[in-house]
Amino acid sequence: MFRPEANFSPARWQLLHAFRSIRIVGVTLRFSEESLTYRPMNRLLAIIVGTASSLTLCAGTPDVFAFVQKNCVACHNPSVKSGDLDLKTLKSAKTFEENRELWEKVVDKLKTGQMPPPPVPHPDAADTVAVTEWLNAEFDRLDRMVKPEAGRVTARRLNRSEYDNTIRDLLGIDIHPAERFPADTAAFGFDNISDALNLSPALLENYIDAAERSVRTALFGPETLKPSAVHFSAPVRINETRGRGNLPKDLFHYDLSGLSTRHSAHFIYRFPVDAEYNFRLVLNGHRPNQSEPVHPALFIDGKMIKEFEVDATDLEGQIVEVRTRVTAGEHLLSETYLKTYHGLPPSYNGPEPSKRPPEPLISPRGKLTEKDIETLRKYGTKIKTDAIETRVDNRFESLDIGGPFNQTAGPSPESLRKVYVCGHAPGKHKDACARPIITSFAGRAFRRPVTPAEVDQFVRFVSLARKQGDSFEEGIATALQAVLVSPNFLYRIERDQPAPAGSSSAPVSQYELASRLSYFLWSSMPDAELLHAAGQGTLRQPAVLEAQVKRMLRDPKSFALVENFAGQWLQFRNIEVVRPDLERFPQFDDGLRQAMRRETELFLDNVFRQNGSVLEILDANYTFVNERLARFYGIPDVTGPEFRRVAVSKSERGGGVLAQASILTVSSYSTRTSPVLRGKWILENLLNAPPPAPPPGVPPLEQSKAGQSATLRQQMEEHRKNTTCSSCHSRMDPLGFGLENFNAIGAWRTEDGKNPLDVSGSLPDGRSFQTPAELKALLKNGHDRDAYVRGLTEKLMMYALGRGLERYDRPAVTAITDKLASQDYKFSQLVMGIVNSLPFQMRQARQTAQIASTMGERSK
Amino acid sequence: MFLTGKHIDRRTLLKGVGAAIALPLLDAMRPAMAAKLANQARRVAVVYVPNGIVMKDWKPAEVGSEFAFTRILKPLEPFRQDITVLSGLANNAANKAKGGGHAKASGSFLSGTPPKYTAGADVHAGVTFDQLAAKHWGAETRVPSLQIGCEDSRMVGNCDTGSSCAYTNSLSWKDPDTPLPVEVNPRSVFERLFGTVDPSLPAAVRARRAMYRKSILDQTAENTQRLTADLGPADRHKMDEYLTGIREVEVRITSSEKDPVTPPSEKPSGIPFDYAEYVKLMFNLQVIAFQSDLTRVSTMMLGREGSVRTYPEIGVPDPHHPLTHHRGHPDFIEKVTKINCFHAELFAWFVERLKSTPDGDGSLLDHSAILYGGALSDGNAHSNVDLPLVLAGHAGGIRGGRHITSAPNTPVANLFVHLMNSVGLQTERFADSTGQLDLHA
Repeated sequence: MFRPEANFSPARWQLLHAFRSIRIVGVTLRFSEESLTYRPMNRLLAIIVGTASSLTLCAGTPDVFAFVQKNCVACHNPSVKSGDLDLKTLKSAKTFEENRELWEKVVDKLKTGQMPPPPVPHPDAADTVAVTEWLNAEFDRLDRMVKPEAGRVTARRLNRSEYDNTIRDLLGIDIHPAERFPADTAAFGFDNISDALNLSPALLENYIDAAERSVRTALFGPETLKPSAVHFSAPVRINETRGRGNLPKDLFHYDLSGLSTRHSAHFIYRFPVDAEYNFRLVLNGHRPNQSEPVHPALFIDGKMIKEFEVDATDLEGQIVEVRTRVTAGEHLLSETYLKTYHGLPPSYNGPEPSKRPPEPLISPRGKLTEKDIETLRKYGTKIKTDAIETRVDNRFESLDIGGPFNQTAGPSPESLRKVYVCGHAPGKHKDACARPIITSFAGRAFRRPVTPAEVDQFVRFVSLARKQGDSFEEGIATALQAVLVSPNFLYRIERDQPAPAGSSSAPVSQYELASRLSYFLWSSMPDAELLHAAGQGTLRQPAVLEAQVKRMLRDPKSFALVENFAGQWLQFRNIEVVRPDLERFPQFDDGLRQAMRRETELFLDNVFRQNGSVLEILDANYTFVNERLARFYGIPDVTGPEFRRVAVSKSERGGGVLAQASILTVSSYSTRTSPVLRGKWILENLLNAPPPAPPPGVPPLEQSKAGQSATLRQQMEEHRKNTTCSSCHSRMDPLGFGLENFNAIGAWRTEDGKNPLDVSGSLPDGRSFQTPAELKALLKNGHDRDAYVRGLTEKLMMYALGRGLERYDRPAVTAITDKLASQDYKFSQLVMGIVNSLPFQMRQARQTAQIASTMGERSK
Repeated sequence: MFLTGKHIDRRTLLKGVGAAIALPLLDAMRPAMAAKLANQARRVAVVYVPNGIVMKDWKPAEVGSEFAFTRILKPLEPFRQDITVLSGLANNAANKAKGGGHAKASGSFLSGTPPKYTAGADVHAGVTFDQLAAKHWGAETRVPSLQIGCEDSRMVGNCDTGSSCAYTNSLSWKDPDTPLPVEVNPRSVFERLFGTVDPSLPAAVRARRAMYRKSILDQTAENTQRLTADLGPADRHKMDEYLTGIREVEVRITSSEKDPVTPPSEKPSGIPFDYAEYVKLMFNLQVIAFQSDLTRVSTMMLGREGSVRTYPEIGVPDPHHPLTHHRGHPDFIEKVTKINCFHAELFAWFVERLKSTPDGDGSLLDHSAILYGGALSDGNAHSNVDLPLVLAGHAGGIRGGRHITSAPNTPVANLFVHLMNSVGLQTERFADSTGQLDLHA
């Protein structure tokens, strides 16, 4: 194994400099290629050979090859191949095109100062700038010469969220049948890439089942479910009053609903059907002797359903119940104590103290006294013991849901309206109605007009069912199921159009364009208005198109962009599956999890739908919080469970996604923060520079000299002394350390355990920062900003097209990013740029695609 | 995660799915099974442990039949005569691949083929040995094979430094381009085995609906073929995949018409919150599937490779994967060992269930080959050699009761060749095999 850290001792570097001076005085040493071995001496000499033999320079043009020879080939040559990279063999201008990705990496590494790694001295800054700028200009020149192509998207299978949304819009039911499907395979970080969306027989069976369930739900109402019980355990809470004489005064300015206090418990549950459900709140904990009764309450989605009163101080196992009607779908359930610090004994100095006399107490230990026995007789089970009757640790043990009862039977009027287009008359349908029903339904399901021949095939199922003695409705149900398992529904298949003369691409059809738009912005089928515009043939008119896109972005359905695009791009979807260690982070529960996700969703929704700038995602002066999250963040004067926009410009925490707990939690381990994970998260998702896999045989930290007690930062710095590691970690780690003010669930902190925090850092390109705010200021300017905007554009484009990007897409991406700078980086302009781009509007004709792919094969 | 509710009477359900329901099921099936038992069906399964195993507490010091059970293997001691501990085998394919250490390991484990380094749509590895078996018996059982996972795999982004999630989240590959996703919801596994038809409907209605379904599939297959004619090659490939699916489903429907199985009366409601219950429920579903001969092949991942599951119930609140990069720290190693022991205890429970379930002239265990272990030995170093593996069962005459070591770097494919032969699939070579391990002698 090549271990650079062993080779680059200071003595050797002196030697290197000595050799450099030899070159200057014109001595040329020649060695044959074969003599190059792993030994450092020869590598040093190789530099000299290389440098001496490359002297061609045009005035004003930096000699890239000479620069590379001088600064890079010591490690990146055919024998050493550090990082699996050999730059020595790249000698001709042709390589700028043929090895473009490789050269781009070189530029990135030079620009960000990651290469050459310490202790190798950095090349002269002016030289680096000259070389990288020249290369970038060369890339631009090459891109201008690339013939832009539209590309061909393979037939796209609906993924899970697209399937659910489409069924919702098609049938007017919200049953999420795809929740039970196997996960879709993602590619390039997104689960809507057509080539990765395979179909297994298991999934096909799911489709067949889902078709039956969806159609029957829409036409005959949801399946009748037997009542069953669902049990949620509330996590154990710490006791705020333990070891304290008095409750802290600041507690008494608090959320009276209890939704934001730690005595409450929150759960998310998807109710299978509209029905009544029984909610049983099981209490636990205590109230001090002499307290007024407690008031537990049940909230659904932040709305109070019922307030109870329990007159007891030992709450363990106390039960209150309520039955209420709930709509099908996901709801946030909260059990809380109203006015939890009210009505305490006067000695607690809380608001509205109790006016009751204290209850008699019995001694918890030893033999019962005569007095105790008398008390017991008198009060029975309401007896108190003095040791625990001082706590305010009333909490919940669990929430049990029983149901469904009195399930809403029968189909919804909306579903019937969507299907029975010639009116619904149960039992009295005319067979002649089958055709219009199927023509309308299949047209919407296939997202294009259907042919009479197609309709015939589905009408056959109505006849089949009628012949078997089934009703007309059963016949329609069978036909609709057949529509929903057809590949025309499950896939978006785009048909080849003849390309106009002199062009290799043809515009996609109006209907296909409508689908491209709706699955891009809504993750669902086109609505009536889009289909109408497509039918009229007006959708492509610039004014119509722009108006449609604006309308679609304003529509709440565009929340799909937040959930599906941003959720995967920024990976905050993962907040649903992280499990922070409750021992270390007792504040974390489902209520907080929900609040974290909601903040990021509302924030991004605001950027996307209120036409914000995409740079706000990096840093913003506002965010969205409710009381729970505000207390967690230390933002004052926010009361109540509802989210609202607050200014954060004056807080230390700052704004943008890097200050949001959801992002900070998904980029941490469950027990601690990891600057490496966070640095990697920034590089991958914000700076468009995903670090490569660590090379094989990376020496583990164990062998470094840092002791176990060293802080993480010291350990990491030790780690970076290894050149192999430092090439990536020199940029990754400082970015992550810049966020160390946030703990593993995103709470602000100024020390880590016993050690004070040092969140300053310097990037390999020489820029440095002292605080998270300064770090963000670096990210939103200069080449980092450009990399961010380009990365976002590429990702949104892949998401919109459902395919990876190719060389021929570069001009389209460049045109969009160039223009965006002059459009204040507005999100809507980014979307318009993509919608108007060649790859989104057109499809490469089959002939050219085939030729191109054969040529691609040959050139490999 | 609280997204999935717990059924309050899980325990009843667990019992129900296992013992209580096993009997009526067996009765209902007797005529069909009797015929099959004549040439004894054999089963093969893989139970996969992610992130490697602490080898010093796994590998027995002694070779042969007199070996002492180590700390991690201890839970399997009651089954000494039924298990074979295997040492020295290596997954050499992983060393030939590029990419994250975890993705390379699980992505190549059962195929012996280096997976392509990509986070894109072009994932590529090799067909896995379990799928060769599934193809072999495909027509004889209702479900060719089960792929089960015990960890929600909805994580997004690339899963291991630039390697696709397909490599870390799947174990079985149908062909070199098609990883088979794992089912993580016991309810879905159940429905895959027994279908979704509501058993409470009158028989005539069920029969009519089944007939409509078949008719829909026929018609759809026909239309799709017509549609395919004027598509480009890539789209045509998608439609072929779809048609293959339709055909497989048709075969299943036909075979279940021939051999009707009465499904147990209760379905699992979802994913149990408690991990041990979750895993046992999944094991139980495999026992039922094997017992009723609904399938003969299954692979199961106790967690996705690179899993960050925490195990607070056994005193390990820390995520699994970072712990395995313990850098020699004894506290970390101890915690990993605890996780390894916990998994082994759960596996022993599965072995016990197989051993106590009668099958033909013996038990299910007698006619099964169940491989337990991982594609990494030392997780700290992502080591692919001297893999931690133990085989339970006696399918085809596997002797058991021994610790067998192979020469260093013997391809694990040699074991797979033997397993295929043991379950009745005549095979001489598989992937990078250099021969076959003989566990019968």
